[in-house]
Amino acid sequence: MSDENKNCCSPETGEPTATRSSAPMWIIVVTLVLLFTGGLFLDSHSGWFDKNVYAPYQSREQLESIQPKSGEKQLLARGKAVYESVCGICHGSDGLGKPGQAPALAGSEWVMAKGASRLAHIPLAGVAGAIQVGGKDWNMNMAAMGAALPDEDVAAVLTYIRSSWGNKADAVTADDVKKVRAEIGKSPQPYSGSQLLKMPE
Amino acid sequence: MKTGFSVFLAAFVALGLSWCGLVYGPLKQLGGAQETTVLQSTDKWPVQRTGDATLGLQVYRANGCAACHTELVHQTGAANVLTLTDIGVHKAADLKDFTTSLLGTVSELTTASNTVVANLAGWNGELPKVIYSGADDTVVSMLGDKFKAVGVKTEARVIATGADIARGWGTRQSVAADYLYDSPVQFGSLRAGPDLANIGVRAPDLNWQLQHLYAPRSLVKNSTMPAFRYLFTVKKIGAQPAPDALVLPKEFSPATGFEVVPTDEARQLAAYLVSLKNNAPLYEAPFTPITAAK
Repeated sequence: MSDENKNCCSPETGEPTATRSSAPMWIIVVTLVLLFTGGLFLDSHSGWFDKNVYAPYQSREQLESIQPKSGEKQLLARGKAVYESVCGICHGSDGLGKPGQAPALAGSEWVMAKGASRLAHIPLAGVAGAIQVGGKDWNMNMAAMGAALPDEDVAAVLTYIRSSWGNKADAVTADDVKKVRAEIGKSPQPYSGSQLLKMPE
Repeated sequence: MKTGFSVFLAAFVALGLSWCGLVYGPLKQLGGAQETTVLQSTDKWPVQRTGDATLGLQVYRANGCAACHTELVHQTGAANVLTLTDIGVHKAADLKDFTTSLLGTVSELTTASNTVVANLAGWNGELPKVIYSGADDTVVSMLGDKFKAVGVKTEARVIATGADIARGWGTRQSVAADYLYDSPVQFGSLRAGPDLANIGVRAPDLNWQLQHLYAPRSLVKNSTMPAFRYLFTVKKIGAQPAPDALVLPKEFSPATGFEVVPTDEARQLAAYLVSLKNNAPLYEAPFTPITAAK
């Protein structure tokens, strides 16, 4: 054994061994503080890893608050789009209907009713049998055209027909449609005119 | 080696944690991504590419377009904006006082730092006029109601803000949903050229795209983009000129009697570029689209 190694290792043990020693207190404290501040930052900025929350948004609530309110213009634009693709084929894009097939919506007292509850039953369940529209008798066979549409679309299209072609009535909300849908239940049966008249507007 | 098991355990935990953070976490977050719905509409998003546009992604990839172009719009903020659109029977001067008094209450209400309240000093009635821009949507609806009560029409909009949006590269930031059908996704990391996430909105014309690929400087002066001439064939005009030959300005056209015809690759790439659109409002990237006036 050379002289340099003499002070390093005791002759009894020969090989140096690793022993346990506790980590310095300050490292533990710094680590805990870092973890804590990191946790606070994550809490306020991560949106809890929600897949819909992207920077610069920091939480679901913030994202909710910035969602565009569906203004009248948007609602009508959407209602028009739905009307053209679903209703307009029979009722006409001018709302004048087709003789013997679909009554006019323009100027119809059913459309411009005070509340939209009775009106909402028509697209959600359909109409079968006799119904009087604008003083004329119709024998209807309308399917539940709106049953498969989301509540928002039905509300938009009802709002559209209630405020187009000279019609003037209040807007319809998705909640109104939801209520009527719940009332009708899972398997809608078409109504007749007299059944509809018994309902509140 | 006495500590062998501890070393193995420590390495296992360390690698396991990175795997959780880099692989499992993102997979859990976005792995099951599906089509979403465009805000306030029933349209599905994203729109699946068809035909040439699908193949074009591979041409884009093969030519290394992503080396100089990104497909990712950034956004640094969002704001609720209230705009005056119609002042009805009022005179601008009267409305100025009314609005100033209203806005006085707004500055008390809101504490958000990025709020911009219109300066009406030099306003003499030109419309549309932005009245308020800030984070607070309650202020917007409050102001909107107050104006409606006196017969003034306003429009409330949500806009995305940021340098990319100010440059006109998009109306909102790019989100994961936009890339659902891209394989591989061509984010790119260098912007030697402009961002292409919305090139199909800015330049929807196939012929423009083709001419731009063949001779960029014939359309964009001082463009630094290399000309992708090998995606085109220069050939002798036959009995009839080819119907799809490029119409080029004189200094870029080939010798007389020759014409430039795009190859399939060029056509596919152009179709792909035209299909690049990140412009629909989504729940995770909301904004109010401009709807055509009724």
